[in-house]
Amino acid sequence: MVSDDILRTHLQELRRGTVVVASLVALRQPGYGYALLQRLADHGFPVDANTLYPLLRRLEEQGLLTSEWNTEERRPRKFYQTSDDGETVLRLLLTDLSAVQKSLTGLIEGLDR
Amino acid sequence: MSSLTDRYLSATLRAVPAPRREEIATELRGSIEDMIEGRTGAGQDAATAEREVLNELGNPDRLAARYADRRLQLIGPTYYLHWQRLLRLLLTFVPALVGTLVGVAGAATGDGPAAAITSGFGTAFEVAIQVTFWVTLTFAIIERADPALKLPAWTVDQLPEVSEKQDMTLTDIAASAAFLLFAAAFLPWQHFWSWARQVDGERIPLLDPVLWRSWLPVLMAVLLAGVVFELVKYRVGRWTWPLVAVKAVLDLAFSVPVVWLLANDRLLNPDLIERFSWLQDEGNLRSITVITIITTVVILVWDLIDSGVKARRAG
Repeated sequence: MVSDDILRTHLQELRRGTVVVASLVALRQPGYGYALLQRLADHGFPVDANTLYPLLRRLEEQGLLTSEWNTEERRPRKFYQTSDDGETVLRLLLTDLSAVQKSLTGLIEGLDR
Repeated sequence: MSSLTDRYLSATLRAVPAPRREEIATELRGSIEDMIEGRTGAGQDAATAEREVLNELGNPDRLAARYADRRLQLIGPTYYLHWQRLLRLLLTFVPALVGTLVGVAGAATGDGPAAAITSGFGTAFEVAIQVTFWVTLTFAIIERADPALKLPAWTVDQLPEVSEKQDMTLTDIAASAAFLLFAAAFLPWQHFWSWARQVDGERIPLLDPVLWRSWLPVLMAVLLAGVVFELVKYRVGRWTWPLVAVKAVLDLAFSVPVVWLLANDRLLNPDLIERFSWLQDEGNLRSITVITIITTVVILVWDLIDSGVKARRAG
């Protein structure tokens, strides 16, 4: 039986890239940091807050997200939304993700036969 | 009194580039308050919720590094191997070279041998530390400046040679044999052509001439046997346990008499000691003897371990 540490490392590696994809998908509707954190967790993407908040800023700097301050509520919140560039990148990422899934399925079935 | 959140924010923002500080501060504060509210909403008391949220966010410096996209390493994988290679290369010869030069210079300007050796070793140690520091500092700066330095990529041409006789290249054998011949030649040389002279110009042998009737021929024979041993070893091609045993016998046959003669003050020529006043000082003579004995023993032990390890690897 492999140790929990090894398993955890591999799962982390597997999940790492999907956080960006999931965020870009979720932010097709505008959202702020904590709400996004909750939404991702509810949909089976548990992300650490200290990873997600800096990630949002980085994606914004790369032009994949746009942002807008909402000052109407009780406290000012920065709302992020997937930009046009972000949408383009997202589509490519999703295509690649399904390609990976397809290749993997093919490989698995090929071995079963 | 400032709250934990305030302290956390100022600790984080301290390490974030100034232009973005204000905005990150407002956003992060909002996020922290959201997270606290999420917990108090579930029935937790405010103080505990604040502590747990900040613990979850973790070390402020780490968070700041993520915001600033900064690397948390002195020398990263891009440059590590280059750093290691350069450092190893320099450390193999620079400290020894400088240390030897300083030691020789010290001896030439009239320091006693003990002082010269001490200053040589001290200098070598300092040089090693300096080399390590400056090489590391340079690479740490390159890592941070990130000039996209185009260091030569690795190619197969850099693969080291692997030969069957890895532990005994011809160069090594030749060096060992030459050293042994040199040591054997030193014995008659010091007797007939010594650089030490009496006041009237007569040469003084360094080693006690009486020993020519006992130990010196034995030592010479052992050294010459060592040369033969090196040739046999090269023919065999690798270390074997019988070779290690012969090597051990030869090493002991040389070291034990030398150490014994030194320890009984029988090795050096009494005329030599009489001629040079600093040798007459009991302390000086003692330290030369002790240093020589220690060096001999260290070389002996090192040699035995080295050949044992190589035999083990080959076997």
